[in-house]
Amino acid sequence: MAIRVTLDRILLERRMSLTDLSERVGVTLANLSILKTGKAKAIRFSTLNALCRVLECQPGELLSYEPSAQDAELERADTAVE
Amino acid sequence: MKALGKGSVASIVEIGLAIAWWLLWIALGGLTLVAFGYGALHAMIAAGWIDAEILGGELDLTKGATGAAWPVVVPALVIGAIVIMGGLIIVGRLRRLFHNFTSGEPFRRENATHLRVIWITMLVVEVARYVLLGAIAALFAAVDLPDGAKADFSFNIDISTWMSIAILIVLAEVFREGARMKEEQELTI
Repeated sequence: MAIRVTLDRILLERRMSLTDLSERVGVTLANLSILKTGKAKAIRFSTLNALCRVLECQPGELLSYEPSAQDAELERADTAVE
Repeated sequence: MKALGKGSVASIVEIGLAIAWWLLWIALGGLTLVAFGYGALHAMIAAGWIDAEILGGELDLTKGATGAAWPVVVPALVIGAIVIMGGLIIVGRLRRLFHNFTSGEPFRRENATHLRVIWITMLVVEVARYVLLGAIAALFAAVDLPDGAKADFSFNIDISTWMSIAILIVLAEVFREGARMKEEQELTI
């Protein structure tokens, strides 16, 4: 997945544990762990909203884009078409 | 009455499939006994231990490939074995499929695989049936049939089987897509 969740970095900056975040956001520790380890397939706006509220950050701070090999391949294909 | 879960239609079908499963094993056992018995009889006649006449004049097994009994029995046994073994594969997969339905988990990747194995098995059995019936017809054509006996072979396509295969191909993909969507939903936080 090219989209990475930078939850661990923000938690480190806020000096907050995943358990604390789980309690304050109302998302189970197991689900937050899935999100943190990059195994999640999608994130609901309501979850993103709760995370941003508790962590006092913007959605863009929680997510980052790192092109995967597949993305690089698609990029090359797009360039070739143009 | 609910369709899935415990005490549902699926659980009743699961019981029926378990009965079919054991009946097929009994049929396979019976077929194996017939095959061994036939082989042993043939060997004893070839060794001269028993007289072929004991079976009746018209079934002279010692004629081998030129006699009627030898070419007919062997392909019939092969067809029987293929049909029963195909049936065992299909019923075995259906049992696992309906076990998952009874557990209330229809959209699992393995269910799509079970459906795929079922349609491939049906396809193999159907094609094997055509090939073996063709082989029997060819053998009969090469044999002088006794007076009064006649062999009637006609090529027929079982539309319901081919329709079932086509439906199963689509259903297998529906289940695969369903399993993918369920996984995605489970990993949506």
